[in-house]
This record gives sequence, structure tokens and C-alpha cells, in this order.
Amino acid sequence: MIFSLLVLHVAVCAVLARAGRRLGRGSLLVGAVPPACSALWGAARLGDSQPATADLTWVGGLDLAMTFRVDAFAAVMTLIVSGIGVLVLVYAFGYFGPGTAHTGRFATTLLAFSTAMLGLVWADSVWTLFVFWELTSVTSFLLVGHKSTDAAVLVAARRALMVTAGGGLVLLAGLLLVTGAAGTTLISELAPVDGAGAGATAGAVLVMIAAATKSAQVPFHAWLPGAMVAPTPVSAYLHAATMVKAGVVLVAVAGPALSGIVAWRGCGIAFGVASVVWGALGALRHRDAKLILAWGTVSQLGMLITLFSVGTPAAVLAAVALLVAHALFKGALFLIVGEIDVRAGTRHIDELGGLARSMPVAFAAAVLAGLSMAGAPPLFGFVAKETAIGAALGLEGPEAWIVGFGVIGGSVLTVAYTVRFLVAVFGPGPETPLSARRPALSAPPAVLAAAGVAAFAVLGPLDSVLAPAAVRLSGGAAVGHLHRWPGLEPALAVSAAVLVVGAIVGLAMGGRPGQAPADRAARWTDASIDGAVAVGRATVARVQHGSLPVYLVTMAAVATLAATPFLAGISLDHIVAWDRPLQGVLAVTVVGAAVALCWVGTRLGAGLALGATGIAVASVFVVHGAADLALTQLLVEAAIVVGFVLAFGHLSRSFPMTGLRWRAVRMAVAGLGGAAVVVGLGAASGNPVAAPPLAELAAASVDEGGGSNVVNVILTDIRGLDTLGEVLVLATVALGVQALARPSASRGSPTP
Amino acid sequence: MNAALLLAVGGLTAVGLYLLTGRSLSRIILGYSLLGHATVVALITAGGPAGWPPIAGQAAPEDMSNPLPQALTLTAIVISFGLTLFLLALARRQRTLSGDDLVEDDLEDRRIAAAENAPTGPEDPVAT
Repeated sequence: MIFSLLVLHVAVCAVLARAGRRLGRGSLLVGAVPPACSALWGAARLGDSQPATADLTWVGGLDLAMTFRVDAFAAVMTLIVSGIGVLVLVYAFGYFGPGTAHTGRFATTLLAFSTAMLGLVWADSVWTLFVFWELTSVTSFLLVGHKSTDAAVLVAARRALMVTAGGGLVLLAGLLLVTGAAGTTLISELAPVDGAGAGATAGAVLVMIAAATKSAQVPFHAWLPGAMVAPTPVSAYLHAATMVKAGVVLVAVAGPALSGIVAWRGCGIAFGVASVVWGALGALRHRDAKLILAWGTVSQLGMLITLFSVGTPAAVLAAVALLVAHALFKGALFLIVGEIDVRAGTRHIDELGGLARSMPVAFAAAVLAGLSMAGAPPLFGFVAKETAIGAALGLEGPEAWIVGFGVIGGSVLTVAYTVRFLVAVFGPGPETPLSARRPALSAPPAVLAAAGVAAFAVLGPLDSVLAPAAVRLSGGAAVGHLHRWPGLEPALAVSAAVLVVGAIVGLAMGGRPGQAPADRAARWTDASIDGAVAVGRATVARVQHGSLPVYLVTMAAVATLAATPFLAGISLDHIVAWDRPLQGVLAVTVVGAAVALCWVGTRLGAGLALGATGIAVASVFVVHGAADLALTQLLVEAAIVVGFVLAFGHLSRSFPMTGLRWRAVRMAVAGLGGAAVVVGLGAASGNPVAAPPLAELAAASVDEGGGSNVVNVILTDIRGLDTLGEVLVLATVALGVQALARPSASRGSPTP
Repeated sequence: MNAALLLAVGGLTAVGLYLLTGRSLSRIILGYSLLGHATVVALITAGGPAGWPPIAGQAAPEDMSNPLPQALTLTAIVISFGLTLFLLALARRQRTLSGDDLVEDDLEDRRIAAAENAPTGPEDPVAT
């Protein structure tokens, strides 16, 4: 079923890519079909305790396989990814008016993203996860840059791609280290890794950094507010409900294995708490309704990362509840802002007024979603926040103070920016003129906002779905339950205080005029990307300079390094000075002739030295007992010397000289190369596998091959087809040489 | 393994590499040829100790040199001979066209390096 669903997604994607232009806006509705199927399947699996698995092995020995496993948590994520996907595609049908260009392309890319995100939450092999992780980065880049004619959009898209794809590289390094320490590549089999190994610690920190880039944690957060230049369906779907959750999902599924590592928890809590506070402050200061929500998302993601990094059963349960609640309320709020943007033509809070009266449905939905975000009863957000505060109060030691500060302070700020958002967008003011109502725009946010109420109403069944997911993510520990009304506990008192203080701050900030803050983080991020590009260009200009000899020397020097591991393998027991003393003399002769070849200044002399080297090598064969080789070598050498003289004989007589320093470098690299070959060969000789079957070969040569020269029988009988191929090579060479040497080939050239 | 031949292989490789990294096409071909020699000597050295030619009836099997690497080496000699001749023809052709036998720089790489050095602003990510 897993593969069928993925194939369905990909197939519809392919159809839309071809027919999108013809279908126009309709392709958005066609594209909603596969997510609808996945959402239904995910919903059907919700209560199922037996995970669904599927795998497709590619290279078994290297653990390269597409492995999927849909457990309780993945089923919840499936419902979020595909359910909200359907709503967003329907919403986009209303968002893009009739006749809007490129809606087919938009639908294709959005569906491709949805597929990648499903693959990510379903993945069990870390490499499968990595592939889909990168695919979400790429599709996100394409969706952010949808309006590809606007320079600001392109800068934002580039920033999103560089930060998330750079995080992908960090993830790859981290996964290599973590899987190396854990000894498995399957997430479901990752056993708790203890903090002793430096590799495991470094890997865990890298994985956490990768999660922070994807989930827009301070200081990597600048791309997320920038990505708000994308069409609102994209902002709601990718940058609120799903893609930015990829980092959170990663922290969640890796949590059971890595939460024993101190650095993992410390890093995660540092990223999370910093983002909770800084994101909420951003949301309080910005004046573009969409940016307010985006900064709020940074803050909420920080809360999720904090809770999952803490990793206690209560914190994990709170995080799962908040994950679901956030997808519902933030998705709804983004869609409402998009509707306002389409109908009022602006989303700047200073230019909006009277919307509570003129857009009653959106107002009601916004209040419900907003109150859920603020954590007010009777909404699902209240349950999530209540559990989170309870989990924070249940901690001990210094962690309790930091996490408590993050969760409680963050909650106050969340209430404040929610109240400010609602007052500023829907509050009194000169009435903003609106265009006609579009049902496809107002229905999806209403559905999402109502879901927040419904989730609170049917908390019992919902708990029976979310609690198993949390059990899976806390390594099997019992997590307790979600409560509609926790009773008179410390958490409730804290919660009430949070609501009151936050509301006062929010109301005070709500109507205040002011300037949006300058986005310094975005400037720094862009400056570092530009710096990286400049370094890249300078490196290319330096390394790819065009001189072929320098390329060769570089390659030879690098290849030489490959021989160093063999140094240890040389065993002197297997090495003799020579089999016959004459070999020593001939070895000196061969090398001497070769050096003379270098030394000789003229081409003709060099050709003759080449002949001498060849004859010396032929003598080596004679002494070794290889008569056929010696004969062949002599013939070949004669032909080559003749060819060399023909080709170069009447050219200017001496070789051009090169710089002394460059020659020294070449000599050094050449010497190292020769030494590397000696080392490799010497190490190979220390490892004889078996004695050659000389008697069998000699007997078979006479009995089966009908000849007494074993070498000849091997060539013509045992591997006759190879010899035929060899003849073919020679024939081809002859044809090529003939074509190149034809007199007509030189027509029109200034040959002397 | 035979240290004398092992060192001969190393010497041939070193001189071959040195010639291969020069600018003159004729010396590159010489270097290529020497690397070919190094390879065949390496093959028969790795194949076992010296012995009598492997001809059944002329020598006892245990006194023979190993025939299998010899058969492989024969192929190597012939193929490298073919390639050397083809290289010589190419070099002659180059001489006919340009008047000398020097290896030029890769002009396309030169052009890229020059273009990469030119300053470009951050405002044109499309052009990169």
C-alpha cells in the first residue's frame, strides 16, 4: 500500500507536469486526489498498533534500500501532511483566480512536495529519510520562487535553498556518524546510543544542527520569514504545517536513540528556547500579518524542538499534541491572511480595518484558531499547552529553569502576539474595501479552525491515537494521557497567569503604530551566502586554470596518497633481491635507459632511447622465462621507434625547456608516484592466495589445446574471443592512423 | 616478489609520470610508453618467480614460469602498442595543423576562470 500510494502521487505528478498547462486551475483539484487517498489511508491506520512496512532493496550489502515504516506517529503525520495538503490545494483553487498563469506548474510542484514530505515521515532507513529530506528542500525552493520574475523573490528562494540544503549536508555527515556508532541504518532499530563516543556525540550535534536549519531555529531562522514571498498556500502548507516540521520530526524520531547524549539535549534546548523567545519578539514587532505569523512559527517550532529534546515522556506527549494543534491553528491563520490578502489587496496591519464585520466567517475562524494558538480553553491548543507546562514543571535541575523559562515565557509572548494579531487585523479602523467572496478561500480555514474545537470535544479518542505515537517517540515509556480539564494543579494556575499577562501585553501592543524592524539576520545570511559563492568562484578560478600538466600533477599527487594504507601491508618475508642475478643488472639497465630517455635533448635521440628501454624490457622477459613476451616486445618496439621518428623526426630538434621550480615539482610527484606503485605491488605480494596450477595448465595445454606452448594455447584457445577482440582493436587503430595520416587531412594548413 | 624488478617498475613509473606531465606531446607519448612498460613488468613480477619458458615437454611443470600472467601481459603489450601508434598519429596531425607539438591550455577552462574572477553583485542570482 505504501508503494502504491507513492506511485499514485508520482504518476499524478507526471500527468500534471505534461497536462498542467491545458488543465489550468483544474490541475489543483486533480492534484488533490492522491493526498486525499493518503489521508484516508493514514486515518484508517491511526489506531493500528501494528506498523505497516515496505522496502525495496537496492544494494543489500551497503544497506542501501528504500525502507518505509508507518507506525503510530507516522500515521498522525500522514494525516497532517495529506489532510492539510488536500485543504491547501482546494484553497489554492480559490486563491489563484481564473486565468492565472502557471497554476499547472504550481499544482505539480505542490504535489511533488507533498510526495516528498510523505516519504520523509514514512522513511525508516535514514538514507531514505535523507533523500526525501533533500527533495523537500528542492521543492520548497521551487515553490518559494514561484513568482520567478521578481528579484526579491529569487533572493528569498536562494536563501531558503542554501540554508536548508546546507543543513542537508550537515545531516548527511551527522547520519554517517550516528549510524556508524549505532550499527544500524534503520530508525526503528536505533538503540539508545550512550554519550561515551566522540563520534556519536559529534553526529548527534550535527543532526540537531540540520534539524535547526530545516525548522528555522535561531540563528538559521532568517529564511522562513523571507519565504513568505511565496503564494500563501505554500506558506500555510510548507512553512507552517509540514516542511518546517521535518526538523522537528527528525528530532522526534531520533530522540529515543540520542537523548542520552548530553550535547544533544543541550543543543536542542539552546536552539529551542532561543527561537521561542526571539521568534515571539519578532511576531510582536512586525507589521505584515503574514510575517507576524511566520515569526510566530519560528517561536512555536522552538517550543517543539525544546520539548522533543527534553525527551521525558510527558514532554514528548505535549510535543505531539502541540505538533497537531500547531498544524491546525497555524494552517488556518495563514489561509485566513491569504484570503484577506486576496480580497483586500494588502496584509499590512496599518491598512486593515473593520474586517470583523466585513469578513465574519474568517473572523470567527481566526478567533478560534487564535485562541487555540494562545492556549485558551475550550480548544485543543489549551490541552497541548497545559501538558507542556506540566511537563516543564515536572523537570529537575538547571534544565527545569531553562525549559520552564522557555515554555512559560514563550506562552506569555504567544498569547501577546496572538492578541495583537487579532486586534490589529480585525480590530476597528476605517473599513477596508474588499473584492467578492470566494467559497474555496473561506472553507478550508474554517474547517481547520473547527477541527481545533472538535479535537477538544473528542479528546478521548484523539488521546488513544496520540498517546501511542508519543509512546513510540519516547522509546516505549508510558506517557500518561491528555486531559481536557487537568484539575486544580500548579500548571493550571500558571496557565491562567500566562493568559492574563499575555492578554494585557498584547492589548497594549495591539493598536500601537510603529516601524517593522530591519531584518538583520536575513542580511547576515545573504552576506554569508554571497561570501560562500565568492570563495567558490575564487577557488574555481584558482583550481580550474586550464593548464593540463598541472591537472595531471594534481591528480597523480592525490592518487599517490591512496597507496599510504598499503605501507603496513609490505612483508619482507616474501621479497627476495632477485631470482637470477641477471635480473638485477637488467633492472639497472631498464631504469638507466628510461632516465637517459629524459636526459636526451633531441627527439631522434629520445626515440632511440625509447627503443633501448624496450629492448632492455624484452631482456627482462627472456630472463624471466617469457619467450613469447620477449619476441612480441621486440617487434612492437621496432615499430614504435619507426613511428616516433616518422611522426617527430623532422621537427625542431630539441625539446622546449620549462621552469626549474615546476620541473622540481614534477620530479617530486613522479618520484612519489613510483614509490606508491612499489608500495602497492609490494603489499600485494605479501598476500599470495594460491600457488599457480602449473602442472594442470601444462597437461591441459597438451591434452585439450593440442599445443605444447602454454601461453599460446591460453591466447588462442582458452581466451580466443579476447584475442579476437584484440585483433579488432589493432584493426581499428590501423584505420584511425591511416585516416589521420592521409595527406588530404593537411589540406589548407601551413605545413612546411 | 622480486625486489630488483619491483624497483624497475617504480623507476619506469616515476620517469613515465615525469614525462607525462610535460608540455611537449612527443615526451607525453614517451611517458605513456614507459608507463606501459612499467605495467607489463609489474604483471609478470606479480605472477611469480622466474623459471623456464612454459612449454610442455621442454621443462618440468614446477620449473616453469607462470604462463597465465604472460598471456595477459601479451594482450597488454599489444593494446598499448596500438594506443601508442594512435597517439603518434594524433601528434603528427596536431603538428600538421598547428606547426608544433605543444599541449595548449584548455581555453574553455581559461575562459571560465576569467569569468569567475569578474565581480558580480548579489542582486543577480539568476545569472549564476
